[in-house]
Amino acid sequence: MADEPIPTWEDVARRYGRKIYNFAYRLTGNPDDAADLVQEVLLRVRKGLASYTPGSFDGWLWRITRNAFLDGVRRNQRRPTTALPDDDRVALVPSPSPDEVLASVRLSEDIQSALLKLPIEFRECVVLCDVVGLTYEEIATAIDSPVGTVRSRIHRGRKMLRELLTWPI
Amino acid sequence: MADLTTSTCDIGELMSAYLDGELHPGELDHVVEHLGGCTDCILEFRRLKEARAAVRTLPRLEVPERLLPAFHFGPELSAYLDGELPTEGQTLVFGHLQTCDECRDELHELDAARTAIRSLPGLEPPLLVEVHRERHEPRRRVRRGRMVAVAAGVAAAAVVAVGVAASSTPETTVDLDSFTNQHVARASVEAGFTVIPAVGPAGLEP
Repeated sequence: MADEPIPTWEDVARRYGRKIYNFAYRLTGNPDDAADLVQEVLLRVRKGLASYTPGSFDGWLWRITRNAFLDGVRRNQRRPTTALPDDDRVALVPSPSPDEVLASVRLSEDIQSALLKLPIEFRECVVLCDVVGLTYEEIATAIDSPVGTVRSRIHRGRKMLRELLTWPI
Repeated sequence: MADLTTSTCDIGELMSAYLDGELHPGELDHVVEHLGGCTDCILEFRRLKEARAAVRTLPRLEVPERLLPAFHFGPELSAYLDGELPTEGQTLVFGHLQTCDECRDELHELDAARTAIRSLPGLEPPLLVEVHRERHEPRRRVRRGRMVAVAAGVAAAAVVAVGVAASSTPETTVDLDSFTNQHVARASVEAGFTVIPAVGPAGLEP
């Protein structure tokens, strides 16, 4: 893979801030933890850019993000219990009817709630794949595991998720 | 909780990879062929697809502004104005301009400057002939010097060739005209080619 140019810290925040926040939110389930994680990641990126060796920038960035998340989990040793905050309601697509809004919020709450019940190893792979949009190879780089492991975790994660979602989709 | 059928078939985790387009060609054939005839796997495949779709339909959240550094697009604004940024960049700058007065003001100034420059009248160059002559005069002298060097080289080569011919066997003959023509031709197309280092007139480089 050809080396990519090294972006500035501001570039990273600008281009990846939203993705990191969504990744963090879907993994942690609450906006405060997600915000903390984004700040922690940007801090690590700022420090790390000085010694970054050109290569796969995405792989490097998501490895930092994932490690920051795991460090936070180890530090806090707690699981989020709240479901969806106000942010999610704000981000819904505009102009649906009130009933549709309510149904969408419930749907999001159910899915988010199911995601949080997955083991962390499955959850992070599913979120990196279906929320962030990384390929299996990029996920393998991010979690420092073989592609076969990624494949297995995504499959098992989705299988568990479907069992947890009791309503017809 | 829904009872997810556990398939006894061997394509289990290949199905998620199939959904994501992450199978190798050999695996792809195997999965497609199997799904064509196994009802259990088709059912499980549908459930996996639903789970995947569920996560993908989650709304994308906006990152709170306070988490991001205050940044501006100064250096990119001219390229944006000229439509020279990649599509992603154009979109980013456009979005930023909706909320940043500072960048919007700078963009207006750049646009005004660009318009002013573009409105300058085109001028005819009245001294074009003189400039042309001045530019080419030294070059012609150099070329004359090069011709002298080439001629000197060719002459020297001819002398050497005659010497070689004289000292070798009597049957060997040298066609001097052909020899000279070949060298002149080569010297005219290959920059710097001479048979021996040429010495040109003082002040003129070969």
